[in-house]
Amino acid sequence: MRVLLLVALLAPYLGTQAAAQTYAPATPLPRTTAAPTLRALAVQREVEERFKIGLDAESRKDWKAAAAEFERIVALNPPEPKGSTARYNLAIAYANLQRNDDSARELRAALALDSEFLAAMANLIAVDLARGDLREARKIADRYVALAPDSARALYSRGIVALQSGDATTAQQDFGKLLHANPSYAVAHYNLALAEERLGRFDAAEQELRTALALAPAYARARFALGVVFLREGNHLAARDAFARTIVDASGDPALQNIAAAMRDSIKP
Amino acid sequence: MIEVVSRTLLSRALAVALLAGGIFCGRSAVAGATSLEDMLSGALMPSAAPTLLAPITSAGRRGWECKPERAAASRQTSVAELPPDPTP
Repeated sequence: MRVLLLVALLAPYLGTQAAAQTYAPATPLPRTTAAPTLRALAVQREVEERFKIGLDAESRKDWKAAAAEFERIVALNPPEPKGSTARYNLAIAYANLQRNDDSARELRAALALDSEFLAAMANLIAVDLARGDLREARKIADRYVALAPDSARALYSRGIVALQSGDATTAQQDFGKLLHANPSYAVAHYNLALAEERLGRFDAAEQELRTALALAPAYARARFALGVVFLREGNHLAARDAFARTIVDASGDPALQNIAAAMRDSIKP
Repeated sequence: MIEVVSRTLLSRALAVALLAGGIFCGRSAVAGATSLEDMLSGALMPSAAPTLLAPITSAGRRGWECKPERAAASRQTSVAELPPDPTP
């Protein structure tokens, strides 16, 4: 009874103490009057504030405003990880402003500061593909796969670069490995089929395309590729059916519909 | 004499015309085959490149909170922000 009474009496005081609890400010108050230290603290504060404003601008897709903030941070040359991160964010703003060469330059600078920055590698490959620089894309993709050999994005990115540059063997290996961990990813089955087709392994290509279509029945590009593989195999009737069905499935892709129609009409029933 | 010369000329001209026609048809056939092959190969496009990963806070890429770096390292396609499978 006495204990309960004591608790009841102390409760308001405990509550007041909790409510009045103070937290340390985000940036510690300067405890010095030395000019260099004060300047360093001011720069640190400016970097933090500009990061917040820049990220807010990127979330609004105001890429111009975001670029201005991150350019200023880069000019202030903050220590790691802020330096590489600011360049990474600046690269995203540049890419969205269609300034892909500038974007690639900032991502290279980010990687020079932090050589294991996987997200920067992933984005540099995407930017290089947009720029058509397959050589650098492949160099970065090799480095990415070496650092993160099980990464789905690393394997996918290098596989795409390999397919675009005519290296079907690497594409076959990368998409094969990606599918080992993600067997229900239809897009990877499709890409693996393209690699198999280029290697002249039409049976394997057909199998991968059938799997892709079982996973995603409306996958028009996979249906079209199956038609091409049937043609390669000399199965003209099946090819014609595949092209005819592509026309139906590719309702949102008029270019594919046109080529599928041309292919269907070129095969005599 | 003139008749013999003209006959020889005519037969030579015919031979040249036939040869030229043959070459032209052969080239057209090869060109047709090449364009079909090109059309097929060109139509088999790889899927899209992945889109850019998102911006990162001033805390940097290290730590579980950094979603873009996690996406870049994950072995799961569902986390890696890769192009989605087509849906009807």
